[in-house]
Amino acid sequence: MEVQARKVVLRLEDVSRHYVQGDLTVKALDHVDLVLERGEFAVLAGPSGSGKTTLLNVAAGLDTPTRGRVVLAGHELEGLSRSEKARLRLSEVGFVFQAFNLIPVLSAEENAEFILLLQKLPAAERRERIRAVLDGVGLKGLEKRRPGELSGGQQQRVAVARAIAAEPSLVLADEPTANLDTETAFDLLDVMEKLNRENGTTFLFSTHDPRVMERAHRIIRMLDGRIDRDERR
Amino acid sequence: MILLRLAWRNLWRNRRRTLLTTTTMALGLTVLLVTLGLGDGSHLQMINSAVRSGSGHVLIQARGYQELGGVERTLSGQQRRAVAGWVLEKEHSFGIIGTAPRISASVLGSSSDGSVGVQLIAVQAEAEARISRFAETVAEGEFLTSKDSGKVLVGVGVARKLKIGLGDKMVLMGQGAQGEIESIVVRIKGLIRTGLVEFDQVLVLADLATGQDFLQLDQRVHQFAVLLDDMNLASPLAAAATRAFPELEVLDWQQALPQLADFIRIDDGGAYVFHFFLFMLIAFMVFNTLLMSVLERRREFALLEALGLVAGQRFLLVLLEATLIAVLALLWGMALGLSLHAYLAMYGLPLDIISTSELSVAGVAFEPIMYSSLSPARILQAMIVVFGMSLMLAMVAARRAALAGDIRLLGSH
Repeated sequence: MEVQARKVVLRLEDVSRHYVQGDLTVKALDHVDLVLERGEFAVLAGPSGSGKTTLLNVAAGLDTPTRGRVVLAGHELEGLSRSEKARLRLSEVGFVFQAFNLIPVLSAEENAEFILLLQKLPAAERRERIRAVLDGVGLKGLEKRRPGELSGGQQQRVAVARAIAAEPSLVLADEPTANLDTETAFDLLDVMEKLNRENGTTFLFSTHDPRVMERAHRIIRMLDGRIDRDERR
Repeated sequence: MILLRLAWRNLWRNRRRTLLTTTTMALGLTVLLVTLGLGDGSHLQMINSAVRSGSGHVLIQARGYQELGGVERTLSGQQRRAVAGWVLEKEHSFGIIGTAPRISASVLGSSSDGSVGVQLIAVQAEAEARISRFAETVAEGEFLTSKDSGKVLVGVGVARKLKIGLGDKMVLMGQGAQGEIESIVVRIKGLIRTGLVEFDQVLVLADLATGQDFLQLDQRVHQFAVLLDDMNLASPLAAAATRAFPELEVLDWQQALPQLADFIRIDDGGAYVFHFFLFMLIAFMVFNTLLMSVLERRREFALLEALGLVAGQRFLLVLLEATLIAVLALLWGMALGLSLHAYLAMYGLPLDIISTSELSVAGVAFEPIMYSSLSPARILQAMIVVFGMSLMLAMVAARRAALAGDIRLLGSH
């Protein structure tokens, strides 16, 4: 039982997230059960509005479910305060948003370094890791540029670099390759696969991109807020 | 460190707004320093003018003299010598510039053209020249010397009323210490213009010996005026003198000049009210800026929370931004305010731009030029007001930042 608990990185039990909009109740998530084990490289697939982004937000503790239980890295989220959830994300989760969400006043390098600074990593180790990650996502030479000076694809690469730089146990990514060309998308997937393989980092992506789905070990298909199919390869 | 870097860069995202906010605060500090400087400076000038026009910083006199007066209420020759010796002992420890014995009495001054009530002040000429401004206010003729027995200086108002001038004679008549009516004929050695019209209409200044002779006081005097280098030592010296001479009445300048002390307190109160409203206006502007800056970055605060920045760190981030603005405003405001203060301390503000007539308040003449004076404590006080105000307002904005995160804002571009 203890071994199994250590192995499970994310557990969602009967999770629902309903939004009330006037007289209408939108069931963004509806009785979802999901277990993600350490080292998985999984994809959330499904049409727009199927609940992929909501599931990622709920999994990271960024959104609170209407009902159900979320356990992240062994921590039940329901009992945690906002600050405790923030600390948990800092130590365990890397998040790539659909809308990049970089800090506009920091350079690409500083954005990627941000979480490492909050984790108070020694400077030498920080610099070494950032250099490797930025090279890995194809941002060599663009380190000093601020988000406003980067293209959409380049910004997304910075967002990915930020998420993986701290080598978290779980990376949650919302459409990470949506704005990338094929070559960069593959480079990015290579970096993430390497992290997954060598460090056992767990990845959960939402995507429409068949290139990402091809590389995934598990495809969780969502429809109308429910898990429609869960395929392992 | 990352929060400080972030805070600093956030300031310059909206350069114009940051400059406007820091400029407003800096100008507020400048106005504060200049008005405090001119206020304190004018008070200091008034106090100096008042203490050099008679009271000194400390007065030592017979008990009851302040309230009741009376020509017979004097220090005896023995008391006079004891006080003079004691003051000499304290000269170094209290920074005593000088001390002067005086006689003062209300008498009648007459000439062939009429009579007028005058205030006779009899002084030891050399000692008086060290501690009072009488010698500097001689408009015609010369100041007294110890050899000027039977000679007086009169206020220009007295001279005008009695139609007398240099070299003319006048008669002084009043009650002596023995209760008899005494009189003396004196010659005008000079005219005095103190700047106080009312004072110039009654002042007759005589040599101490002449006064003692006229009022039958022998070696007795009414009071000792002590002038200090630092007026802040007036109260400690007065307290020490009270302990040394419990049978006498010892007053510091605030007790000796209660009207002036009250005026300064009221004037300070008015200045505090003015500064309060000034800073309320500035505070609302600064608060508006900080709050706007936080509210328009709600998405960013949500992002910072998503990345792992806890509420306390988001609070600190806004507080750091406000602190940096305050530091910039302080540096700028201090540079501007202290430069203006230095100019006004050196060259002063001519009061003839307000009025060309002689100005006086609470029986004290305003000097024609107002000089700025700021103590380090005042400067620190102004800095604390500006800094404290910014941080207090920033706390409210920072609290909003700590609670501002809304994850739904992160989903869209």
